[in-house]
Formats: sequence, structure tokens, C-alpha cells
Amino acid sequence: MNTLLDTGLAVRGLRKSYGGREVLKGVDLTVAPGELVALLGANGSGKSTALRCVVGLAEADAGEIRVAGTSLRGLSGAELTRARRAAAMVFQQIHLVRRRSALDNVCAGGIAGLPLSRSLSPVLFPRELREHAMACLDRVGLADRAHDRAGSLSGGQQQRVAVARALCQGARVLLADEPVSALDPAAATQVMALLAELAHEDGLAVAVVLHQPELARLHADRLIGLIDGEIRLSTPAALLSEEDIAALYRGERG
Amino acid sequence: MTAQRTRPGLSVPRRNRKPFYLGVVVVVCLLGAAHVLAGRATDFSPGALVDGWHGMADFLAEAFPPKLDWDKVVQPALEACLVTLAIGLLGTTLSVPGALLLAVLGMRGRNPVVYQVSRSIMSFLRAVPDVVFALIFVTAVGLGPFAGVLALICHNMGVMGKLWSEAMEEIDSGPADALRVAGAREAQVIANAVLPAVVPSLVGLLLYRFDVNVRASLVLGLVGAGGIGFLINQSIKLFQFDVLATYILLVLVLIIAVDLLSALVRRRLND
Ligand SMILES: Nc1ncnc2c1ncn2[C@@H]1O[C@H](COP(=O)(O)OP(=O)(O)O)[C@@H](O)[C@H]1O
Ligand SMILES: [Mg+2]
Repeated sequence: MNTLLDTGLAVRGLRKSYGGREVLKGVDLTVAPGELVALLGANGSGKSTALRCVVGLAEADAGEIRVAGTSLRGLSGAELTRARRAAAMVFQQIHLVRRRSALDNVCAGGIAGLPLSRSLSPVLFPRELREHAMACLDRVGLADRAHDRAGSLSGGQQQRVAVARALCQGARVLLADEPVSALDPAAATQVMALLAELAHEDGLAVAVVLHQPELARLHADRLIGLIDGEIRLSTPAALLSEEDIAALYRGERG
Repeated sequence: MTAQRTRPGLSVPRRNRKPFYLGVVVVVCLLGAAHVLAGRATDFSPGALVDGWHGMADFLAEAFPPKLDWDKVVQPALEACLVTLAIGLLGTTLSVPGALLLAVLGMRGRNPVVYQVSRSIMSFLRAVPDVVFALIFVTAVGLGPFAGVLALICHNMGVMGKLWSEAMEEIDSGPADALRVAGAREAQVIANAVLPAVVPSLVGLLLYRFDVNVRASLVLGLVGAGGIGFLINQSIKLFQFDVLATYILLVLVLIIAVDLLSALVRRRLND
């Protein structure tokens, strides 16, 4: 158990309030390396907030977060940033710089460790970074589109570039917040298959927020369900029942 | 669709709204009255235009053919066009630092006092017409192109500052967030996510303002800031309408060239 968690993600007792309202009420979440976990839950149940607390886009009120074996508790400044860098995030809105090439976007994931003199413009990026980024693009199957403008790629291709950017960051933990919600079904399947491969073949710990239980059942190893900021369901993907789904979305679709 | 059963004859519920025909009538009457008053205030009279048609005919008869004497008319006019262009160019580029500063300070979501002060400065600079600024600067530096440049700098700083701060407020913070998650420092985030998103729209607005400022510098020439506007003013005073026609043709060429150039570059910028 512990050896597994040395490279994965472990969250204990995560709490977060916005304006006096508790959005996360003590969330425990473990994602082992080589595992793809799907997070399900109605709108507003706290899925995005949980992921944003892990990567530092939101600040948790309480709880412990361990990323790739390092606890973030008590860390600050450069140490905290370095520990957090082991976790990357992919967004529904993709968030690429549309005017830059796919390769330059991927490179941007790996600039954290560089001096400013080598990182303020793509022409300054060192060759090792470009080669590493090229390998990441190749991993997502887009090596041939390296010099295309990101904005000219299809939605599915853009999301795969965003995944490559996360790989270029050197992440061992990959979080994805509804990465396929804006994609057509074929592209969604392709991106989900890529995320599953990264877990199963490359040994990343992958957590994906999904709003389609069917996709979760198809691609995930384990499902976790959030209701009002609490984990109320944790089951192997194969065992997800219709009643479970109904309970998760009761407030929303009832 | 065929499977869907609908209830027949469902009546449309009445909208609970005050009768508004009365309001429409009142608004139309007020607008009509305003136009009658405005016509009186401007001595609007189609009759005067018809009665005076031969004045225009005389003018056109004298204006054509345009006088194309190279040494006396065309060459000085081309030089004056370059001065007009130069006023517009300097007035635009030299206002960039001030506009950028005002735009950044005037972005929503920063210090509210700084925001208000910067917004007020921009509103003031926008509200004062460039011609008024020119007349003020003439008292300091005398008649001539320099006063025109100073006037354009002031007015353009306000207008471009406002346009830029709106453009900067609109950019999406997503790509910046993505780089922050990747551990990038703030300077790296700005260089690799914020600037690539915002610079093209700032440059586009800059070109648009260059276009506008060249035309404004023409008008400033009429009130003494030099350039082709000044020559146009002189030719009118001397009743040299054939010379005036040449000037107007050259101005047309200048304006269209600047317009095409800035439109072309802006199109390249937007993908
Ligand atoms: N920055 C914020 N400020 C205030 N409330 C927020 C903020 N972010 C999220 N919330 C609230 O927290 C709750 C959970 O949001 P979120 O984590 O986005 O849910 P989910 O991703 O499961 O749909 C929602 O009620 C939302 O309104
Ligand atoms: Mg969400």
C-alpha cells in the first residue's frame, strides 16, 4: 500500500469553504500509479474544487495532500512549487495558447526549471526541452503536427496537445477536469483511451472528472462518487450499478 | 416527432404588460419636435441649396481639370502629405507608453482607487477633442506640425488606453492558470501565456488608431498644424480651386493607402 502511494496521489480530509459554505467536507482520495480513477457527481458537488486544491489553483482549508510521495503540508515557496510540479492538470477548456505552435505549447509545460533568459520566448527554449517536448507530442500521436498552430487543430487534437504539455511538465499524477465534455464522441473516446494508456502503460496516476457515467465505466478502473462535497461511492468500474448512478445525480435530474 | 403527443388548442397566456402604444406615440412626437427645432437651429433649407446651385457649378468648373503643375503644386503637396502622415505616425507611436500605463492601471480588479484615477484621466483625455489640444499647444510651441503631434499624443493616449484596457480585461486566464500549475514563475507566465494572447489585439487597435490619427492630423492641418490640411486651407482662401482639386485627390490616395495597409495587417493578425 505505502509503496504504491510513494508515486501516486493521496488526499486526506480535504476541506474547503467558499463564503461560509462548505464545498468539500473532508474528502479522502487515493490514486495509485497505473490506475485511472473517474470522479463522478452532480454539478456543484465539488469535483473541480477538489482537483484545483491539489494543483494549487484553490487553497484548501484543511487536509493533507501527498503528490508522488511528498506531502505538501508545511511546504512553501519554491519547495511547494517543486513538489506540486509532479501533478499536472488538463482542463475542459483546454487552455492552449492558440497562436503558438503545438510544440511551443508543449514546451511551455517544461519551462518551470529554466532560467528566465531561456524561457521568456519560444526562440530561447533550449534544444533539450524541444526534444523532450517532441517526445511528449509523439506519445500523444501528434508528432506530425508539431509546427501547426494550436488553434488550427481539432478539439480532440488540442486536448491531446494539452496532455502532452502535462507530460512535458514531468508529472507523475495527471488530473483532468471534464477533459472530453467539449469533444465529439469519437475524439472523446480517443482522449479517454490515451489517458487510460498513460495510466496502464506509463504508470501515471490518473484522476478524471467525467460527467458521463458510460465513459467512466468504459475507461476507468475505479469510480469515485461525490455528493455535496463528500465521497459517497467508491467502486471498481465493472460493478457500477444503475442505482449508484441514480443516487449520484438525484439532486440534479430528479 | 410523430411519437410526441401535444395538447390541442392551448391558449397563449396574456403577457401582463402595460399598453405601450401611448409610449410609442409620445416618443415619436418628441423626436419629431426635436428635429424641427434642430432644423431651425442649423438654418436647414433645401431651397437655399437649389437656389445656389450655380455657385457649386462655378466651383466645379474652376476645379476641373485639376492643376497638375509638378513643381508648383504636386511636389509641395506630396511633401505636405508626408508631413500629415508623420504627424499621425508620431502622434500614435509616442502615445504608446502613456496609453499602456493607463490601460494597465485602469484594468478592473486591481486597486479601486488607482482604477478610478486612471479611468478619469482617460475619460478627460478622450473628452477633449484633439483640435482643442492643438490650440492649447499652439500657445506654447507656435503654429506648426509639432503642436499637432502633441495634440494627437494627448487625445490618443486616452482613447487607446481605454481600448487597450478593455482588450486586456477580456483575455482568458486559462492558459496562464495552466502554466502556473506547471510551476512557471510569474514572468514566465506573462511571457508565455498572457502576452501571446493580448499583443495581437493591442497591435490591431494600434493600427486602427494610426488610421484614425492620420485623418485627424489632416483636420489639425486646417487649423494650422501644417501638412496637406494647411495647404488645403490656403488654396480655399486664395480661391485656387483647381489646386484644391489636386490636393483633395492626393488626400484620397493617402487615406485609402493608409486604410488598406492597416486593414491588411490587421487581417493577418487575426489568423
Ligand atoms: N471560486 C469560487 N468562489 C465561490 N464559490 C465557488 C468557487 N468555485 C466553486 N464554487 C462553488 O463550489 C461548489 C462546487 O463547485 P465545483 O467544484 O466547481 O463543482 P463541480 O466541479 O463538481 O461541478 C459550487 O457550488 C460552486 O458554486
Ligand atoms: Mg466542475
